[in-house]
Amino acid sequence: MEQNRAACAGKERMEGIRPVVRLEGICKSFGKVRANSNITLDIRPTRIKALLGENGAGKSTLMSILAGKSRPDSGRIYVDGLPARFRSPKDALEAGIGMVYQHFMLVEAMTVAQNILLGQESGIINPRGMGLRVRELAGRYGLETDPDALVADLSMGERQRVEILKLLYRDCRVLILDEPTAVLTPPEISRLFDALRRMAEDGKAVVFISHKMKEVLELADEVEILRRGEIVDSFLREEVPSERELAARMIGRNLEPRIELVPVKKGEELLRLEDARCEKVESVSLSLRRGEILAVAGVAGNGQKELVEMLTGLREPAGGVLSILGRDWKGFFHAPVRRKDGLVYIPEDRKGLATCPALNLIDNFVLTNRRSFTNGPFMDWKRGEAATRDAIREYSVQPPDPSAPAGSLSGGNLQKLVIAREFYRRPRLIVAENPTQGLDISAMEEVWRRILAAREHAGILLVTSDLSEAVTLADTFAVMYGGRFIDVFPRDDAAKVNAIGLMLAGIKPEEHDGGEAAGT
Amino acid sequence: MTGFRVVGRDAPLPLGWKSFAILLTALAFAFFVCSMLLLVQGKSPWTALVLLLQGGFGGRYPLEDTLLKAIPLFLCSAGVSIAFRMKVWNIGAEGQFALGGVGATAAVLLLPPDAPAWIMLPSMMLGAALSGGLWGFLPGLLKLRFGLNEIISTLMLNYIGIELMRYLVYGPWKAPSSMGFPMTAMFPASAIFPSLFGRTHAGLLLCVVTALALAAFLSRTRLGFELRAAGENPRNARYARIPYGFLLLFVLTLSGALAGLAGCVEVSSTFNRLQPNLCTGYGYTAIVVAWLSRLRISSIAFFSFFLAGLKVGVENLQIELQVPAAFGGILEGFILLCVLAGQFFHHYRLVRAGAQQEGETA
Repeated sequence: MEQNRAACAGKERMEGIRPVVRLEGICKSFGKVRANSNITLDIRPTRIKALLGENGAGKSTLMSILAGKSRPDSGRIYVDGLPARFRSPKDALEAGIGMVYQHFMLVEAMTVAQNILLGQESGIINPRGMGLRVRELAGRYGLETDPDALVADLSMGERQRVEILKLLYRDCRVLILDEPTAVLTPPEISRLFDALRRMAEDGKAVVFISHKMKEVLELADEVEILRRGEIVDSFLREEVPSERELAARMIGRNLEPRIELVPVKKGEELLRLEDARCEKVESVSLSLRRGEILAVAGVAGNGQKELVEMLTGLREPAGGVLSILGRDWKGFFHAPVRRKDGLVYIPEDRKGLATCPALNLIDNFVLTNRRSFTNGPFMDWKRGEAATRDAIREYSVQPPDPSAPAGSLSGGNLQKLVIAREFYRRPRLIVAENPTQGLDISAMEEVWRRILAAREHAGILLVTSDLSEAVTLADTFAVMYGGRFIDVFPRDDAAKVNAIGLMLAGIKPEEHDGGEAAGT
Repeated sequence: MTGFRVVGRDAPLPLGWKSFAILLTALAFAFFVCSMLLLVQGKSPWTALVLLLQGGFGGRYPLEDTLLKAIPLFLCSAGVSIAFRMKVWNIGAEGQFALGGVGATAAVLLLPPDAPAWIMLPSMMLGAALSGGLWGFLPGLLKLRFGLNEIISTLMLNYIGIELMRYLVYGPWKAPSSMGFPMTAMFPASAIFPSLFGRTHAGLLLCVVTALALAAFLSRTRLGFELRAAGENPRNARYARIPYGFLLLFVLTLSGALAGLAGCVEVSSTFNRLQPNLCTGYGYTAIVVAWLSRLRISSIAFFSFFLAGLKVGVENLQIELQVPAAFGGILEGFILLCVLAGQFFHHYRLVRAGAQQEGETA
C-alpha cells in the first residue's frame, strides 16, 4: 500500500499535462458482479497508457464506458475538464474518443475507403479529398493500406490499420485499443507499436488494454493495474518493478512455478494425415500418437481454421489420406454418432460454436455427452445434473449454479465447462483450438494442466496462435503458413524452436542439408 | 433534457402481468386507430368495440364459437412452432391443413360407411397426419437435397395443396347428391368427432393431448433436446454432431402432420364433408400465433383462443354494424401489427431521460 501511494504521489508530481479525459468514480455492475467499482482515471495527451488486468478484471467494461458503448451506473466523465455524457459511441466520437474493438467492426464486402467513409455524418461526401486525407494520415503514422482494397482480402493487421485510420480520420484525440496484439504477427506488432508511438508524439492520447506483461513494458508510459473491477496499482514507466512483480500484482498473488513439461510415454498412432487438402489447406501431413502434444503454430488465417474443421468433420477434405483413430474420414464422420467416438474438439469460439449460450449449464454439459445420459429415447436429466454438478466442482466453474445460462459465464469459466464436458468422455484424440485465448493467467494454467494430464489417454493436436503456449506444451511443433506446414520438428531441436518466429512469417531458415521439408 | 430514451433490457421480459399490460396497450392503440376509420364512416366506435368483444367473448354462444375456431388454430400453430424452434420457417401450414382435410376425407371414402367410429376416427386422423406430414416432408427433402429455401417451397406448396383439394372436390370426389355444388357427400356419423359439451367436440381433447405430448417431447426426450439445442445455435448443432438433416425432416413432417390434424378436425366437425372453403387462413394466422407466444405451448393456447375470438368478433362487427368486409380485415391486421410492434417493449424499455441522469450522477 505504502509503495502504491508513493507511486501515485510521484505521478502527481510528474503530470504537468492537463488530462484530456478524466473518469471519476465510475461504477458499473452486471447483476451481482461489480465490473467497475469507483474507478478514477486520467488520460493525458502524448501519453500511452496501458490497462493491465486479468480477464474479467473490468478493463473492457471501463473502456466501453469511455467509448460510449455502455453507461456507468454512477460516476462522471470529464472531457477537457467539462462534464460529458455519452449516450452512444457517436457522442464519444464527437468528443474525440474512439475505440478499436477486439473484434473488428468492418464491412468485409466494402473497400477500405468505403469503410472509413461509413457513418460519416455530413450528407455530401468527397471521395477524392477523403482518399488524399486517408493517404496522408496513413503516411504520417506508418499505417499504409490500399484504400481501394476489399476488406475481405486484408490480413488482420491490415484490418486493424483500417480501424485505426477510421478513428484518425474522425480526428480522434483519444484512441482506445482492446487487446490490439492478439491477432498480429511479431513484425505487425512492432509496426503497430511504432504507429502508436507516433500518434502519442503527435499529441494524441493512447489507451491500450492488455494482459501481456511484455507489451505493457515495451510500449506504455503509464500502467494501471485492474483487479476485480478496481485499480489496484498505478505506475509510471520508470517506476515499473520487474515483469514478475507486475504479474503478481495483476493476479493478486505470486505466480506459481511455470508448468513443467514431463514427457509421457508415447503410444499408438491416433491421427495421420498425408497430403491432406481442403479449401485454404494446400497440403498437410502429420502423425500424432497417444501421449503426444503436437502444436500447430501459426498466425491466424493461414489455414488452421480449415484444417481443424476438416479434422473435426465440419469440412470435407478435397484430397489426400486422412486416418482418424484408424478409420478414414468418411468412415469416421459418416458413421452414426456413438456414445464415445474418441474424438473431441475444443473450439476457439466458445460462445458461437461450443455452447448454446441461452441454455443452462446442464443442457450445455449434456450436449455433446447426451448419449451417456439417455434412457431409451428419453433424457435422464437427474444424472445429467449430477454429472454437471461434479464437473462444476472439479473444475471450479464460477458461478457454481447448474441452472445459470451458459452465456452468463465469463470466457474462462465457460472454457472450463467446455473442457470438463469434452474430457468427460475420456477422449483418445483431442483437437484444441486456441484453448486459452482470452483467459487470465490462473485459468490458463488450469487449462494447460488439464491438457497435459489428458496425455495419459489421448493424443492432442493443439492449434494455437500463441507462441508461448506452443512452447510450453508441445512435444512436436508444426509451423503453418499459407495452408502448408513450413516445418515439423521436435521440441529438442533448439535451433528450429528459436526460428519459429521467422517461420511464422513464412520464412524457412537456411538449412545445410538442403531442406527437403521446405513446404513448397 | 426531457423526453424518453430507449434502453435495452438485460433479458427479454418474461410473460407476466407486464407483458399483458403491453398487450392491452397495443390493443387499445389498434382500436383507437380503427375508431378513427369508423368515425369517418359515421359509425360509433364504442358500439363497434362492444360488438367486437361481445361477438368474440360475450356469452356462451360466442365463446363456443371462439373455442371451435381456436382448436384448428392451436394445432396449426403448435405445428409451425416446432419448426420455428429449429429456425426452419415453415409457412406452409395452410397447404398442410388442406392436405390434412384431403387425407381425412380419403379415409372416410375408402372405409365402408358403416365402419364404427373407433376405426373411422383414428383412420381419418392417421390419413390427415400422413398427408399433412407428406406436405411438410417434401420441402424438407427439397432443402436437404437441393438447398431449396423452405420459405419459398412451403409457400408454393400451399397453392398446390389447396388446388389439389379443390380439384378433388370439383372432380372425382364430388358427390352425385350435391346438385352440382363442389363438395363431397356428407360424412357418416361415425366420421364426426363426438361432442364434449355444448357444441365443443373431441378436437379439444386432441389439442390437450398434443400440448402435453409436445411439452414432454421437448423436455424429456433426446430428440427434443437436440431440437432445442439445434434451434438455439445452428452452428453448435453441427459441432455437437446433432443429426441436423434428420431433425429438419422430422420437424417439418411433424409440423405438417399437426396442421393436417387440424384439417381433419375441420372437415369432420365443422363441415362434416370436404368442401373448397375449408381453407380460411388458419395456417397463416397460426404463424402469427406462434410468433406472439414466443413458441411456448401454453402461450400458443392462449393466443389461439384470443385470435380466434378476434376473428369471431370481427365477423359479428361486420354483420351488425354494416361495415364493409374489408374493414374486418383492416381491424384484424391492425391489431396484429400493434401487438407485434408492442413486443418491442419485451426487449427494450423507455426511461425518462432526466431520471436516468440523476441515477448516473448519484
